[in-house]
Amino acid sequence: MDVQGLQMTQNTPAVPGVYKRNPPIAGEAEAIEAAKNGDAEAFSRLYALHKRRVYTLCLRMLGNVSEAEDMTQEAFLHLFRKIGSFRGESAFSTWLHRLTVNLVLMHLRKKGLNLVSLEETINPSEDDAPKRDFGSRDLQLTGSVDRVALERAVASLPPGYRMVFVLHDVEGFEHNEIATMLECSTGNSKSQLHKARLKLRELLRQPEQSTQPAGFNEVAV
Amino acid sequence: MTDPKLPDFDTMTPADFEKYLPDFFANGDGHVSTDPRLQTFLKNNPDCAALVRDLEAIADQARSLFDLTEQPSDAVWSGIQNKLKMLGSDDDDLPDLRVPQPV
Repeated sequence: MDVQGLQMTQNTPAVPGVYKRNPPIAGEAEAIEAAKNGDAEAFSRLYALHKRRVYTLCLRMLGNVSEAEDMTQEAFLHLFRKIGSFRGESAFSTWLHRLTVNLVLMHLRKKGLNLVSLEETINPSEDDAPKRDFGSRDLQLTGSVDRVALERAVASLPPGYRMVFVLHDVEGFEHNEIATMLECSTGNSKSQLHKARLKLRELLRQPEQSTQPAGFNEVAV
Repeated sequence: MTDPKLPDFDTMTPADFEKYLPDFFANGDGHVSTDPRLQTFLKNNPDCAALVRDLEAIADQARSLFDLTEQPSDAVWSGIQNKLKMLGSDDDDLPDLRVPQPV
């Protein structure tokens, strides 16, 4: 696998927001050290500890169960190859999430999704773009958002919006990190996030049925 | 007002507000509704205030999705084991490991 461009080493400092959400797990440090020495049981333990988060991240980014499982497999195989380069300067799960995000992005680029220019390539069509109706007050949504409904709405977002929303609002990456990963400007990341939230607001205000994308049951997040 | 990139908060229109809203969210702690510079504007523009509340509610709830995780199928681990068996002896990057047992 071509791993050029992946940030496997820890040249960047730990992200405070992500680190806070990824506290060390009991027994994880020992498993990491053992895995570095080729301990198969330790690999198995690391997989058990992190498979759900890695898989869910892939699923949210890709919106497809089959691709998400393939990328989860690739992420752990890559982890097994590169675990020797983990130096413990950030939370292991933060490092693993960054590795996974980069693999998914590389996968999407291979599929032809050019992430270099978000505005030109993964901006949604006119129909998908959020409507400029912020002047109409919303009495349904204000103050509460149902988590399941939000998950459904996120799954139905256009890919470009979904990517930035998941990375920033769910995973806790900063705009400058997202800009680096997606090879776009920080302003572009901010703009995409804002449009994603506007689109979600629009989706969440619609009757429940319309927020369910085609094949959502398959996505099942 | 000290940031030349931001509008004058005293004379800002709803259109200005909409234009700069991504920056308002990106700066500070992401909670526009508690920004003291915007209190007067939001009080005078309830539709803008409602929009802010909605977007903040979406962002707040999104954080909780982090802990809402799904289980991959057993096929994922089986696939990893198979790949390791196939690659193990030919892949210099892989640690010299015994094949893991099922999780």
